[in-house]
Amino acid sequence: MFDYKLLKTLFAFAVVSMVFSCTDLKVDEVDSRVTESATGEFTGNGPDLLASAYNDLSTFTAQENTYSLFTHSSDIMIPPTRGVDWGDNGVWRTLHAHTWDPTHSFVTEAWNILNQRAFKCNQVLASSDPAASAQEKAEAKFLRAFYMWNVMDLFGKVPFREVNEGIDVDPRVLTRSEAFDFIETDLMEAMPDLPDLGPSATIAQASKASANALLARLYLNKAVYTADNPGGPYKFEAADMDKVIEFCDKVTAAGFSLEANYFDNFSTDATTEIILTSAAGSAQNRYFMTLHYDQNPSGWNGFTTLADFYDKFEADDQRIGSYPPPDGSEFSGIGRGFLIGQQFTDAGDVLIDSRSQKPLQFTRDVPLSGAATDKGIRAIKYHPANQGNYILLRYADVFLMKAEAVLRGGTDPGGQTALQIVNELRTTRGASALGSVDEAAMLDERGRELWWEGIRRVDQVRFGTFSSTWDSKTNTDPTRVLFPIPQQALDSNPNLVQNDGY
Amino acid sequence: MKLKIDFITKSVLLVLLLACSNFVLAQRTITGTVIDSEENEPLIGATVTVLGTGTGTITDFDGKYSLEVPDDAKFLEFSYTGYSNQKIELGASNVVDISMSPGTVLDEVVVVGYGSVKKSDATGAVTSVTAEDFNQGVVASPEQLIQGRAAGVQITTASGEPGAGINIRIRGTSSVRSGNNPLFVVDGVPLSGDNTSASGNNGGLGASSARNPLNFLNPADIASIDILKDASATAIYGSRGANGVVIITTKSGAKGKSVLDYGYSLGISTISKRYDLLGRDEFLAAYASFNGQAAADGLDGGADTDWQDETFRTAITHNHNLSYGGGDDRGDFRFSLSYQDQEGIVQNSGLQRLSGRFNGTRKFWDDKLRITTQFTVSNINDDNVPITDDAGFEGDLIGNILKANPTTPVRDSDGELVQPGITEPNPVALLELSESFTNTLRALGNIGAEISLTENLSFKTVVGFDRSFSDRVDAFSRDLAAPNILGVGRLYLSDVNVSNRLWENYFTYNQDFGNISFNGVAGYSYQQFKFTSEDSQYADFRTSDLNEMIFNLSSSQIAAGTNSSRNINELQSFFTRLQFGIQSKYLFTLTLRADGSTRFGSDNRYGYFPSAAFKWRLIEESFVPELFSDLGLRLGYGITGNQEIPHNLYTSRQRFNDNAINNGGDQVDPGGLDNVAFENPGLKWESTSQLNVGLDFAFLNYRLSGSLDYYYKNTNDLLIRIDAAQPAPAPFQWDNLDADVINTGVELGLNFVVVDKSNFQWDVNGNVSYNKNEVRNFKGLINTGDIDGQGLTGAFAQRIADGQPLFAYFLREFGGYDDNGISVYPNGDFQEFVGSSPLPTWNAGLTNTFRYGNFDLSIFFSGQFGFSIYSNTANAFFTAGSLANGRNVTADIVNNGEGNLNAPDVSTRFLEKGDFVRLQNVSLGYNVKLNSDKVSSLRFFVTGQNLALFTGYSGQDPEVNVNKAINDVPSLGIDYTPYPRSRIFTLGANVSF
Repeated sequence: MFDYKLLKTLFAFAVVSMVFSCTDLKVDEVDSRVTESATGEFTGNGPDLLASAYNDLSTFTAQENTYSLFTHSSDIMIPPTRGVDWGDNGVWRTLHAHTWDPTHSFVTEAWNILNQRAFKCNQVLASSDPAASAQEKAEAKFLRAFYMWNVMDLFGKVPFREVNEGIDVDPRVLTRSEAFDFIETDLMEAMPDLPDLGPSATIAQASKASANALLARLYLNKAVYTADNPGGPYKFEAADMDKVIEFCDKVTAAGFSLEANYFDNFSTDATTEIILTSAAGSAQNRYFMTLHYDQNPSGWNGFTTLADFYDKFEADDQRIGSYPPPDGSEFSGIGRGFLIGQQFTDAGDVLIDSRSQKPLQFTRDVPLSGAATDKGIRAIKYHPANQGNYILLRYADVFLMKAEAVLRGGTDPGGQTALQIVNELRTTRGASALGSVDEAAMLDERGRELWWEGIRRVDQVRFGTFSSTWDSKTNTDPTRVLFPIPQQALDSNPNLVQNDGY
Repeated sequence: MKLKIDFITKSVLLVLLLACSNFVLAQRTITGTVIDSEENEPLIGATVTVLGTGTGTITDFDGKYSLEVPDDAKFLEFSYTGYSNQKIELGASNVVDISMSPGTVLDEVVVVGYGSVKKSDATGAVTSVTAEDFNQGVVASPEQLIQGRAAGVQITTASGEPGAGINIRIRGTSSVRSGNNPLFVVDGVPLSGDNTSASGNNGGLGASSARNPLNFLNPADIASIDILKDASATAIYGSRGANGVVIITTKSGAKGKSVLDYGYSLGISTISKRYDLLGRDEFLAAYASFNGQAAADGLDGGADTDWQDETFRTAITHNHNLSYGGGDDRGDFRFSLSYQDQEGIVQNSGLQRLSGRFNGTRKFWDDKLRITTQFTVSNINDDNVPITDDAGFEGDLIGNILKANPTTPVRDSDGELVQPGITEPNPVALLELSESFTNTLRALGNIGAEISLTENLSFKTVVGFDRSFSDRVDAFSRDLAAPNILGVGRLYLSDVNVSNRLWENYFTYNQDFGNISFNGVAGYSYQQFKFTSEDSQYADFRTSDLNEMIFNLSSSQIAAGTNSSRNINELQSFFTRLQFGIQSKYLFTLTLRADGSTRFGSDNRYGYFPSAAFKWRLIEESFVPELFSDLGLRLGYGITGNQEIPHNLYTSRQRFNDNAINNGGDQVDPGGLDNVAFENPGLKWESTSQLNVGLDFAFLNYRLSGSLDYYYKNTNDLLIRIDAAQPAPAPFQWDNLDADVINTGVELGLNFVVVDKSNFQWDVNGNVSYNKNEVRNFKGLINTGDIDGQGLTGAFAQRIADGQPLFAYFLREFGGYDDNGISVYPNGDFQEFVGSSPLPTWNAGLTNTFRYGNFDLSIFFSGQFGFSIYSNTANAFFTAGSLANGRNVTADIVNNGEGNLNAPDVSTRFLEKGDFVRLQNVSLGYNVKLNSDKVSSLRFFVTGQNLALFTGYSGQDPEVNVNKAINDVPSLGIDYTPYPRSRIFTLGANVSF
């Protein structure tokens, strides 16, 4: 007879081993760090996260997203659609024409990127494995303030998520003035533990000087950030202006001064003005985005400045740039400052546009759409031959903030007038001294000094010119001083309310 | 608690133990005669078996048999093709004579997972395609065998590239992420949905998709493919059943004389349709019309180059198949070896596959124990060319073939390649100065033991494994004038290793209780999926030599470990299926599967997937007219799931992002420590409920037969990567979206025997299906369908929104050009839904098969209707602005009214109807009459694939789906410089010994 006993034994063995092999469905993570404790608290490595938060600063080097919102919406840059180039679904044109909407991809991206980076700073502060040091925490607070300042300025309200709030929690929303207080508190709390660092071409660490510079910016714009109506009018308080001056003076006291040669600032030769740069990313996007395809390096033939802005410079002003004859060395075909008229190769030959087979001459005029490849004046701050780190905070900005604070009713303990400060800068830059300075002159001076450095929108809003008209921009809707809350953000967080006008 | 006992070791031990003994049992001899009940003639070759065992014999010329049976044997079973089986209880007598009556052809079986059922008893919607109905010719992967053959199954190859990825949609598309393919089960082993090879990196030329992971299966080894379509059929696969299940069964040896088969075929492929590009003179004239004659003279390179001639070729495919198989009452075996060397129609591209297989079964212990194994190992070599999914304005290889200036010579007078600049790479240089290949070694196998515990109860244990190693090399010489490559060179190495294992145990119980038959299955399954990847990149090479770059890595001066990863997932399941038949008239099937998956958070680790189905075999009722030879009504409902999402998205985790060598090739940008996922314990599977009503019918003694099915599928808790509510650890989070995707459809499959004479037969086999897709109850919007090209950064063409079909086109409405040649958008310069979708409403297939004497001829048409294709190719390359910039275009661009400064924004201008009918396969065969005892059969055949295409679509082929996903949300139906399709003629012969 068949031996069922043996069979059943084997079968029992199979069933038993089956039971033993049942799994609890917990697998080890070997290619990532688990950063939650058994109770769901965030743990995380403080120093590593801080390094990552610094690395994240590279987002500001991109020509799109945050940078584009700050510059393309202003009167010193235009992103023309050039036939088949730069249409890009209209994202550039709508920024220049102030016709963006809540689904604009750069609006969405900037919102996501900036807020996500702010959250990482929360993680540094909550880290425990190992925890961040006091100085590291101070640096994280500075970075959080920096990211949140961007959100506050662009969008007028700032969402906030505590580090242990999970996917089911809708982030709470700070109003603009609550956000102002939050950022100010972060910076003041960070100050004592921040390192005291002076200028350096490659400085990529938060310092007392960077916190003071950001505080000065914060107080200079306090009237904007606390206004009942974001579009103005703004009421600048003398006490706030005194604070601006105080913070600016602290930066100066840390050893900063104006660079003798303006374009050295954007090169590896920078010495006295650089407060904070991003070590990650590269400044190369700033020349790629404007240079023509047939130049060396071959650019993307994109953005130009507007003739009205170009005309605001005196011929001797260092800041308008120069185009020494190319000497055959690599990139000598590229001038510094504004590139207008005939362009040359590195060898000094007339540059031919390979697409139209015509000599490449950059024109003053530039339409917003239907632009030919040669339209518009190009602009180079970072030069391919010796570009420095990408600058996030520069002393000349602080220098002019102080002048503006004095102009707006602040008192310089050193007794300087706004005109004296502005003229000191102009003299250093090779421009003639002004006879007087008013708001318009101050805005122009900031434009000449800080063009394409990503602060123009903030200046135009504060000076009340953001809703005026300029070349290819006719929309005067004052609600445009704030970007809309992105549609996807509204859909994902019911605590958010759309800004007026959208 | 966690026990890590190596179950493979245990199982092998078990199997060995079981195999180690044998028994000698008492026997007796039964004899008898089998006759036809109507004619009273002896039946020659009828099979007589001892029920429940493999012991048996066949009747001789007089219908007589003699069979040794064990003393304890209770029944004999008699079977004869075309006759109903008979079961006879053994008594004391040693003589059993029977008469058999012709029956119906209902004994076809379909595989349903953990078993098979007679087709007539199948309660679910299952389509079975067997080898004789497979598509013939050059076939790289198994899905192509059934393309167009099954109602409700839409199979789209991404491109014409040998071994390209394939999309299979069973009853419409229901998910909004890449996990939309059905579950593949090969000889009982469910495959993971992961890619087994890496996707390609082509420097500044974009990324290319991974190859089809199923290429490792030799199509000639496949016996049948069963497609489980409705939830009542797929629910036995629980959390992986929502997109349908495709069960692939490979060939086994046949009982009787061992047979050696050899087949060879030679395929010749040519491009099926070329682009109608401007020739030299037309191009210069058109360019001059925008930029003037002087500019045209400056652009003229003096040559007359047809870049399509320079890069496309007539490609040859060799295919060898050798198999040896046989079997007896106690087992069978089959070995096979195959080699396919398929050249692609683009120079330098191709696929070589060497594969071996062993399938065997053996019974032991009086047939109480049955050991089965299926094992295959394949080595696949893909020769890649730089054809990418997302090339920018510089274009990939195909883009440059299209746009390259036809007056530019390929080489100068010194024989050096002419390379006009990095934005205008020379297509021939792209081929000659790059080298890319993928090598994949994959082994898939299982060994199983089935024990008959009692006459009614059996137990089966199966151990399966799936292991693959793949490495990919993409090398670009520094001499190649292309973005980020010129002067530095680039090399990318990508490895992917997959190691999956399976252990399955289940009981099967069969018993008839009077009028009630019962079949039950209950079991446990454990599957582990281990996926490992490793990528590195190199630049700044000291050599231009591609071999030196690849095989002497230190010729590079900048190296970066891009990243690596390893993750493990587990799936633990308990399942049962109960089938009842009452009077063979009312059939019920109930299934339940509980799946525990590590892909989900602690709150929802287990999912439960039930189904119920009922079949009423109306043919058994007296009121059904004689006209019918079969009539059955099916009703089924079930809930299935989908769990194809990345590893562990519910634990707060951090990982260093990819390192990358910068565009200049002189610096490594290290990736920062980034958050991978939120804490999200509530994350769970996506679930699909499906209702199916079906009718199986046959008339006139099966002259006309078919099935009609209606289904309503509702998918909710959609797994999707959505924008996280910022501030958050990451830009996206995976979540179960509270929305419904509804697919409703009707399917009809028909078979009609038009002529059935002894020397001439004509069969018509057709299928047609209708599907409607809609997203409902969705608050929010998701953009996808990334459009690339000059001036198209950030452009997209599709949006997922409430009330629209998935992937609905979201475009500007194009209204021609104004006087300046600038596009006019009558509704305004904004995107909107335009009422078009890339999802075909209708799919159809029609096969005519003729047999005349020793000839057979099969003609197969397939078609898809009611959908649109967006041509990113035309959007990026075929515009007046592109022409004015010195790039070639198609002839229809000349003087079409567009100005050279027009921006070709995404609009309906580039949207076209995709409807097509394709003469997909024509196959003519001749079986040689042989009077040899050495050669048992000899067959010659000639096959044509893609012989004719009837479509209004202006692109290369409307059956196209380039991966244009945005943020991992897939796109559909977008054409962007894919590898072109070919027309293939194949000549071959099969011989059996």
